[in-house]
Amino acid sequence: MSPDAGIEVRIWRGGAQGRYETFRAPRRENQTVLDIVTWIQREADPTLAYRFACRVGVCGSCAMTVNGKPRWTCRTHVSKVASGGRLTIAPLRNLTVIKDLACEMTPFFEKWRRARGRFEAAISRDDPLVPVSPESPERRAADAAIECINCAVCHAACDVVAWRGDYLGPAALNRAWAAWNDVRDGDRTAVLAAAGAEAGCGNCHSHQSCAEHCPVGINPTRSIAGLKRAGLAALLRGAL
Amino acid sequence: MTTLRTEKTDVLIIGAGGAGLFAALHAHAANPDLDITVAVKGLLGKSGCTRMVQGGYNAALSAGDSIERHFMDTIVGGKWLPRQDLAWRLVNGAVERIRELENELGCFFDRNPDGTLHQKAFAGQSFDRTVHKGDLTGIEIVNRLAEQVWARPIRRMEEHRALALIPATDGEGVAGVLFTDMRSGEFVLVRAKAVLMGAGGGPTMYRYHTPSGDKSCDGMAMALRAGLSLRDMEMVQFHPTGLLAGPDTRMTGTVLEEGLRGSGGYLLNGAGDRFMFDYHEHGERATRDIVSRAIYQEMRDGRTTPLGGVYIEMKHLGREFVAQKFKGMVTRCADCGFDLAGGRVEVVPTAHYMMGGVEFEEDCSTALPGLFVAGEDAGGVHGANRLGGNGVANSTVYGGIAGDEMAVALSDGGSFRNPDMALVERAVAAALRPFGRRADGLYDLRERLDDLMWDKVGIIREAADMMAALTELDDMMAALQEIGVSGGTREFNLTWHDWLNLENLLLVSKCIAVAALAREDSRGAHYRSDFPETGPLEDSAFTAVSMAIEGEMKLEMKPVHFTIVAPGDSLIEGEAGAPPEMA
Repeated sequence: MSPDAGIEVRIWRGGAQGRYETFRAPRRENQTVLDIVTWIQREADPTLAYRFACRVGVCGSCAMTVNGKPRWTCRTHVSKVASGGRLTIAPLRNLTVIKDLACEMTPFFEKWRRARGRFEAAISRDDPLVPVSPESPERRAADAAIECINCAVCHAACDVVAWRGDYLGPAALNRAWAAWNDVRDGDRTAVLAAAGAEAGCGNCHSHQSCAEHCPVGINPTRSIAGLKRAGLAALLRGAL
Repeated sequence: MTTLRTEKTDVLIIGAGGAGLFAALHAHAANPDLDITVAVKGLLGKSGCTRMVQGGYNAALSAGDSIERHFMDTIVGGKWLPRQDLAWRLVNGAVERIRELENELGCFFDRNPDGTLHQKAFAGQSFDRTVHKGDLTGIEIVNRLAEQVWARPIRRMEEHRALALIPATDGEGVAGVLFTDMRSGEFVLVRAKAVLMGAGGGPTMYRYHTPSGDKSCDGMAMALRAGLSLRDMEMVQFHPTGLLAGPDTRMTGTVLEEGLRGSGGYLLNGAGDRFMFDYHEHGERATRDIVSRAIYQEMRDGRTTPLGGVYIEMKHLGREFVAQKFKGMVTRCADCGFDLAGGRVEVVPTAHYMMGGVEFEEDCSTALPGLFVAGEDAGGVHGANRLGGNGVANSTVYGGIAGDEMAVALSDGGSFRNPDMALVERAVAAALRPFGRRADGLYDLRERLDDLMWDKVGIIREAADMMAALTELDDMMAALQEIGVSGGTREFNLTWHDWLNLENLLLVSKCIAVAALAREDSRGAHYRSDFPETGPLEDSAFTAVSMAIEGEMKLEMKPVHFTIVAPGDSLIEGEAGAPPEMA
């Protein structure tokens, strides 16, 4: 594809009901999918709605469906995804569309809360920091899960979420797994109770779609399997 | 008549970065009965700049380090311009804040093999005190903060853009804030007993810049319009190594972290030659301001790469070492098509942080009763230069203080002031101005601003350039007022917000230019080719800019009071700001 030929871009317009509109954008050597969307908003249709913030893969705001797959658009080079010189860009699956490419994220964050995806303090700022070996098994498990940017790519990739809307989903459960493995947490059993609730980790079918699409290389399927094991063990111990 | 929805809350927080989220948590902890609302231009915890912090967080936690040492590094780094009581509060608060982040909020920072906290070296500091999580510290901090806010009864107004601070009818304080709900385009007046402005700064009016794409100095522009005084606005920090990826890409300008130079990376000009030792004995490891100026000089002299910058090269350190030590940077570059570990990547100095901001007191109060300020919107903590690792310390320390103090201010229940509805109407009309006008040239004007500030009020400054820039800024503001936004709809209309962003950037750019023209010396981030000397430190003065009439800036030079330590004296043994001696 020469830079001059440009690229054909189909973009979803509207809300849940809508249609694709086709644009033509110039190609640049260094160009991300977010750059294409930005060019269209600036130069072709000023009413195009989308969301982004940091532009470097830190904030997790700009995820969209690109040629059928959920991706972070600010870190997706056009040359890596444009098939046959075409792009089709749609909002993320499994969330309600607000307008065009922007989705309502509140239910996603609410799942994070329901899964007890947070820390519960045992001590306070008046205490010294807790020494934790970075090589301990718990810390290694937590570290493998913790750098999530909550972009909702995994949530969009998950078929179980598509079948069952209230399923907590990979991101929230992955966060719960990190919380369970944080030896500093004051109420780790509560994590297993929350993550193992009716819409929780038991619903995962281990399709691995979350791990396949995670832009930062996290494997939520593995985290969820860990939660299942820990939950079962706690149950057998009578702790749950 | 445009409809206006009115809401009420006890505590209104603008911004959801380190300052805003800490303020919300502290106000709630101090008094759980307070009705607290966090309003933010993006999504809570997912916009703004705290999240983008790479390097880390300075805190004097180790045996051998001290509050006094961190303080002296901050004062010397700030070229004796910081307000000393504010810097003192910063370095004290940082120690408590790190323990709070770890023990109460759940952050987990990198450890030594024995399980103790790891603290790394950072430029301009005489002790290795920077707490971090790999090279993506901000994600850890803001994710943990956001989770805690989600779990508490704190109201969120996401994708709500603040348009104006609304004073009381009697002028005796702030009565609320006018917003637009960016999704619906509806106007919302939120009346509040106390307001925190923690919207963040972000010098995105320069051709190359690092901050999050939503940043447009909205807080500072609103503060100017509300009559508040902004200090140190000429102090714009440039980071030496922003990614240079060409035009029409949002990748350009984003930071490649300081540690690349610190650990031995080379900077090469367009001819492939190392040049930093021509400028400074520390070579690539010199401080941000020196390296930025050196690169800029190479660019002015035409020794550039194909895209007009210089190269950073790491491969002599070993591809695997680089890929492992700077994983975040290497994968980011790879995604964008560049090989940082094994090749050369084009870089350029990039506008990073505003040391200046609203004048404020140690309790975060301002000259406008009821209005508090924290984070990058607040000025005076860093003086002429901010140390890497003092930025997130500033936003979280002062954000927490603001939350505590707002709760104290409302301990008698507080009261709602009567909003000046004439000003609300005027602000609504101003925001609606572009609708119905011919849409043409908005982004050309934005690029003109970026080029103007880069060329004339940037890394190397002189009077004639800045005087020309001031004239041109007035012309651009006049031009913007005639530019429209097409489409008619206010619903999720990014182009309308780009118009509003540009209006704020033009106003704050003028403030920067006025302050930079007034400071006839060179120190820290501010370099005047016509006044290259710093002058006697004991006579240091800071700039304060305010605006009585829209667009007309009033400048004062105010003396720095050395309330804790005077130039020539020190609170520590050894040289502040110099790298620690090897044991």
